[in-house]
Amino acid sequence: MIKIRNLNKHFGALHVLKDIDLDVKNREVVVIIGASGSGKSTLLRCINFLEMMDDGGKINVMGKNINPKLDDLNLVRQNVGMVFQHFNLFPHKTVLENVIEAPLYVKKMNHQEARKVGLEILDKVGMLCKADCYPLQLSGGQQQRVAIARALAMNPTIMLFDEPTSALDPELVNEVLQVMKELAREGMTMVVVTHEMGFAKEVADRVIYIDEGRIVEEGKPEQVFECPSQQRTESFLAKVI
Amino acid sequence: MVNIYQIFIQNITAFLEATVITLKLTSISLLLAMFIGLVIAFFKISKNRILYSIAQLYITVIRGTPLIVQLMFLYFGIIKIVVLPAFWAGTLALAIHAGAYIAEIFRGAIQSINPGQMEAARSLGMSRSLAMKRIIMPQAFKRAVPSLGNQFIIGLKDSSLVAYLGVPEIYGTALYEQASNFMPFETYMVAGMYYLVLVIIFTYLVSKLELKLDVEDGGRVS
Repeated sequence: MIKIRNLNKHFGALHVLKDIDLDVKNREVVVIIGASGSGKSTLLRCINFLEMMDDGGKINVMGKNINPKLDDLNLVRQNVGMVFQHFNLFPHKTVLENVIEAPLYVKKMNHQEARKVGLEILDKVGMLCKADCYPLQLSGGQQQRVAIARALAMNPTIMLFDEPTSALDPELVNEVLQVMKELAREGMTMVVVTHEMGFAKEVADRVIYIDEGRIVEEGKPEQVFECPSQQRTESFLAKVI
Repeated sequence: MVNIYQIFIQNITAFLEATVITLKLTSISLLLAMFIGLVIAFFKISKNRILYSIAQLYITVIRGTPLIVQLMFLYFGIIKIVVLPAFWAGTLALAIHAGAYIAEIFRGAIQSINPGQMEAARSLGMSRSLAMKRIIMPQAFKRAVPSLGNQFIIGLKDSSLVAYLGVPEIYGTALYEQASNFMPFETYMVAGMYYLVLVIIFTYLVSKLELKLDVEDGGRVS
C-alpha cells in the first residue's frame, strides 16, 4: 500500500527525518510511537504530501511512485484519508455538510447520493443524531468522530491518524479509539501516530519507534513493548507506560 | 433650533436629492472597492513575486496619499488625457482608495483562518482554489464583516469630498446653500444630521448581518 524509501526532511537547518524506509501492507495497522519532536507527525504528513520530502526520497502509494511536482496530489489524497490532532472540522458547516463536502465537490456525487452515504457513515461513528449540529456544539470526542467520518466519506484505501486523541479530555479518548478499533477490524489500512500505548498493544500489527528522525525499532507490539532490542526504546517506554 | 428646523424644511428637496447621489456614490464605489480589495488581497497572499509586488505597490501608494489628492488627480490631473464625468471620477477615486484598505481587511481575515482548515480541505482531495472558495473564504468573510462595516462607514463619509468635483451630494449641497442663505451654522448642522442618520441606519444593518452570520454556525466564532 505504502512504500517509503530514503525519505529525508529538513526544516531549514533542522534534519527532522533521516533516511526513513517504511512499508505498509494492505489491511495492516501500523502504529508509530515516539517522543514529541521525534518526527513522527512529520512522517505521517509526508505520506499525504502536506509536507514535501527532500529530493531523493521516494514515496509510493498504492503501487504508484508519486512525484509531488508532476502528479496530481489531489487524486492521491482522495485515496488517503487523514485525521488531525485538532480535528480541523469546518466550523461554518453542519456535521453532515462537513462529511459530504468532499464527496459533493471533489467526487461530484449528486446531493441525494452524498447525503445517503454521509448519513450511513455518521451512523457508523455514532454521530447520526448530531448530523444537523455545528462542530462547535460538540465535545472534542464527538468532533473527532465526525472528522473520521469526513475522511471515510471519500472511501479511502488508507487512513492516517495524527495523534487523534492527544487533544481530548481523558474521558473522551475511548469513544474515538473504539471507532478506530472498529475500522481496524474491518480491515482498513491504517497508520496511526499516537501516545495511546494500550491502543498500540491491542490493535497494531506492527509498532514503530522513532527517535530523532530515525526508525529505531520496529516489530510486533508484544516484541517492542515486552522485550525491546534497543536501549532508547526501553527508556522511552519506561517513561510513558 | 428654530433656524435649523427652518433650513431643514426649506432645503428638504435639495438634500433628499443629494442623499440619493451620496448613496449612489457610496454604494457603487464600495462595490467596486470590494472587488479591487479581493483581487489585491489574493495578489498579496500569492507566492508569485510579481503579483505580490503589484499589491504591495498599490497599497503603499494609495494608503500613503490623501483621498483629496487622488480625487483631484483623477478629475483635474488627467483632464488633458481623459475627461471623466465628475460623478464617475469621484466614484472611481473612492473605489481605488477604499480598495486598498479593504484589501488589507481581506488579507488579514484570510490569514487569520487556522492553516489546519486548508490542510483538512487539501487532505480530502480539494484543490487549493476549491478549498479557498468553499472553506476559507466563507469563514474569512464572516471575520471581515465588522471591519468591512467600519470601512463602509468611512467610505460613506469620504464621499463628501467628491463635492469638490462639483457633484451635488450632501456636503456639496450644503456648501452651495450656505453660500446663498448666509446661515452656515444651520446648514452644516443639517448636512451633518443627514450623514449621521445614514451611518446609524447602516450600523444597524451591519449588526443585523453579524448576528445572522453568527447564528449560521452555531453562534460561536472558531
